[in-house]
Amino acid sequence: MNVAVTVDAREDSPAWLAYGTPVFTVLAALAVSAIALVVLDVNPVAAYRTMFVETLVTEFGLSETLTKAIPLILTGLAVYLPLKAGLFNIGAEGQLVAGALAGTWIGLNVSLPGLALVPLMFVAAAVAGGIWAGIPAYLRAKWDVNEIITSLLLTFVALEIQSYLLRGPMQGGAGNFPQSDRFSEAATIPELFGGVHAGLLAALCMVIATYVLMTKTRLGFEITFVGSNDEAAQQAGMSKFYVYLLVFVVGGAFAAMGGISEIAGAQGRYRAGFEPGYGFTAIPIALLGRNSAFKVMLAGLFFAVLFVGGSSMEVAFGVPAALVEIIQALVILFLITAEFFKSYRVGIDLKRGPAETPAHPQRGDD
Amino acid sequence: MSEDTTLRMEGILKEFPGVVANDHVDLSVERGEIHGLLGENGAGKSTLMKILYGLYSQDDGEIYLDGERLDLGSPQDAIDAGIGMVHQHFMLIPRLTVAENVVLGEREPAPAFRSDAADSWLPAAVRNNSLVQSLAGQFSLGLDVPEQRIQDLADQYGFDIDVSAKIWELDVGQQQRVEILKALYRDVDLLILDEPTAVLTPTEAERLFDSLERLTDEGLSIIFITHKLTEVDAIVDRVTVLREGQNVGTAEVSSVSRADLAEMMVGREVLFDIDREAVDLGEPVLRAREVEATDNRNIEALSGIDLTVRQGEIVGIAGVSGNGQKELAEVMAGIRDVTAGELVVNGEDITGAKPKTFVDSGVSFVPEDRLQYGCAEDLSVMHNATMKDFRDGRFGDRPFLDYGELREYAETLVEEFDVRGVSDVTETKAGDLSGGNLQKLILAREIYRNPDLLIANQPTRGVDVGAIEFIRETLLEQRKAGTGIILLSEDLDEIFDLSDRILVVYEGEFVYETTPAEADRERIGLEMTGGGETAASPVKSGATQGSES
Repeated sequence: MNVAVTVDAREDSPAWLAYGTPVFTVLAALAVSAIALVVLDVNPVAAYRTMFVETLVTEFGLSETLTKAIPLILTGLAVYLPLKAGLFNIGAEGQLVAGALAGTWIGLNVSLPGLALVPLMFVAAAVAGGIWAGIPAYLRAKWDVNEIITSLLLTFVALEIQSYLLRGPMQGGAGNFPQSDRFSEAATIPELFGGVHAGLLAALCMVIATYVLMTKTRLGFEITFVGSNDEAAQQAGMSKFYVYLLVFVVGGAFAAMGGISEIAGAQGRYRAGFEPGYGFTAIPIALLGRNSAFKVMLAGLFFAVLFVGGSSMEVAFGVPAALVEIIQALVILFLITAEFFKSYRVGIDLKRGPAETPAHPQRGDD
Repeated sequence: MSEDTTLRMEGILKEFPGVVANDHVDLSVERGEIHGLLGENGAGKSTLMKILYGLYSQDDGEIYLDGERLDLGSPQDAIDAGIGMVHQHFMLIPRLTVAENVVLGEREPAPAFRSDAADSWLPAAVRNNSLVQSLAGQFSLGLDVPEQRIQDLADQYGFDIDVSAKIWELDVGQQQRVEILKALYRDVDLLILDEPTAVLTPTEAERLFDSLERLTDEGLSIIFITHKLTEVDAIVDRVTVLREGQNVGTAEVSSVSRADLAEMMVGREVLFDIDREAVDLGEPVLRAREVEATDNRNIEALSGIDLTVRQGEIVGIAGVSGNGQKELAEVMAGIRDVTAGELVVNGEDITGAKPKTFVDSGVSFVPEDRLQYGCAEDLSVMHNATMKDFRDGRFGDRPFLDYGELREYAETLVEEFDVRGVSDVTETKAGDLSGGNLQKLILAREIYRNPDLLIANQPTRGVDVGAIEFIRETLLEQRKAGTGIILLSEDLDEIFDLSDRILVVYEGEFVYETTPAEADRERIGLEMTGGGETAASPVKSGATQGSES
């Protein structure tokens, strides 16, 4: 028996494929992960039930998911917006940390009523995140320094500054832990409903603002054009310098808001290692949602489900935390691979014995 | 049908949404002939050939090669049947050698996976498994190459190529011969060349024609896609003309005149002579003084250019490519910085200003490289049609943009400038348009804003006869409307037909100035190549301009 694998480019992707692939690929990733679960003597069906169904139907699961989604959506936008201008912001993590630190400092050292203090913390965070993102943007716009490298490396600078501050000037609370004092009531983001803090509103507003920016404004037109062909855009009088700086600074501000809302809304104090790498998870979120800000939001929600469902599975079945990360990573890998199947058709031919050539009715040569 | 017919395409139909690209086209090619496929941009030549090469599948109709019916699902099927194609844009990998590029498409698996490999680390049972073989064929690549065989093949056809050289070391003409070599290595009987001379200099084109004649002597048949009538005269035996997706006739080249072919192509009589009405010159729209600039490698490209352009005047700039024309155009359009000198547009000194200032001052620019500066090929026709005017107040109040208005504006441009191949301005991408139609779109965008100064660099290069005529007439109309135009062209006829004044540029300086009426072609040719230095000293055009008008 002969088996042959063929790969052909698709002329166009059918609609069912566009909507179907995410579903199929998530199922496929879970099927592969199930092998690991079975090895650990855990029933995969029950584990996945906990991971997805319980997360989505219990009140606790839903509020946790929405809370986690806030920083994921905001950092997702922080990568999405530069992506539209043809830039890769790999440093959303650093912008998130820089913003969270600045916002925390304001929250701990300024006394104002809550209605003024929380917005001020957001502004301070946005400014810090914007500056942190502005550095790679300026270097790229002015001297063509690769923004992937600079934004990534600045993340480690931000993390080291965080370490220093939490072990030095900003350290607080009982014991010698790398953490800050607890926020006062006024510095805490109020609850919106059922355990979800008002940072959700901020995230939704930013999704809408980004959507409007990209689809309804002149600036969005310029960003799209610079992202597609920066030389033609400049010839038409658009400023690449301005666009590059803008998308990065605004993106950095988004990531920073994600950071401060997580600290002031969910954590209550700045603890080193308070977040599991939202800024890096933001990259697949932005890639999956690259067609619209609303898709970024959906992708952010999906990753929140993975995070929350993963930890409840960890608790309920005693599976190692590493396995949960493996499942999340597999889902990301499968989703990205699925992009390949949208543009290529893979076929497997099975032939028995020598290939028969179908006899075409020959027309006589006249 | 004659004994010698090798290829027959019968009743080929191919529809794209909103466009019938091929409307029941017949084509037959005889063995050993060079068969021209002539037509305007967008006439369906490329579509027909992509069907023949297995890139598209036809909606109806049949293909026979040597009497056998072909069912082409992919280019691989076409190659197996003995059909090769050389695309207009080369499909070569610059970092690999000539020989490696030639064997690349064979998809040989990596040596370890070959069933006949002697020293593979994989057990034979694994290597011989058909599934492993097909996966290895798909996902691994062996590039060990029979260099000698390829070199012999190159020598056999008189291709002057070192097969161990890397592609990036070769010039464009040699790269094209590598593409042909790729096809020959696969033993094709029929070779399709898609506008092969579009990227070549005239000398390189001559060499290509010699090579092609050698190929047909060896019994190959060649389909030569072109829209240049001179090329049809030069090497084609028989020609088939396509117009709007239909075959309008096949003829022996020796029995038809150029004018007949042009008429078949365009569907009406083509005016090779253009009437230029006299236009009164107005105020100067551009005054450039002592302009100097460097090229991308920071080498001086313009060394002291003086240029004055008045309303209603076309200044033609002639010269051999690479003498500063590109830099001159870019400086005048504001996208290249000057290193010295000043630029005054409409009485305002905007030296060193941003491109936006130039755009706002009424400067329009038709760039030489359409894909680099002219458009964003991945964006829609609408985006590209409005790339300069989207700031205008009629498209909504700042900062918002009315996409409905943009769409209407783009539709107007597409209609008035007869841009073909657009089914929906928001869906069709600029990169999907054929060269001539894309150029019409760019010209439409630049002219519809009624500029004071238009810089057109090679506006008709790579464009078909019908579009050339349209573009030239548009330029003349715009001249009548009072626009000052700088026309840079390597086509001397174009310069003569359109210009009010001709300047010759050589090594970044104007060396000669004349008018079409007084011009002596021989003298211009001499000046273009630097041979006029002894005859006349460089002319400062700004100074002499006044006495002329």
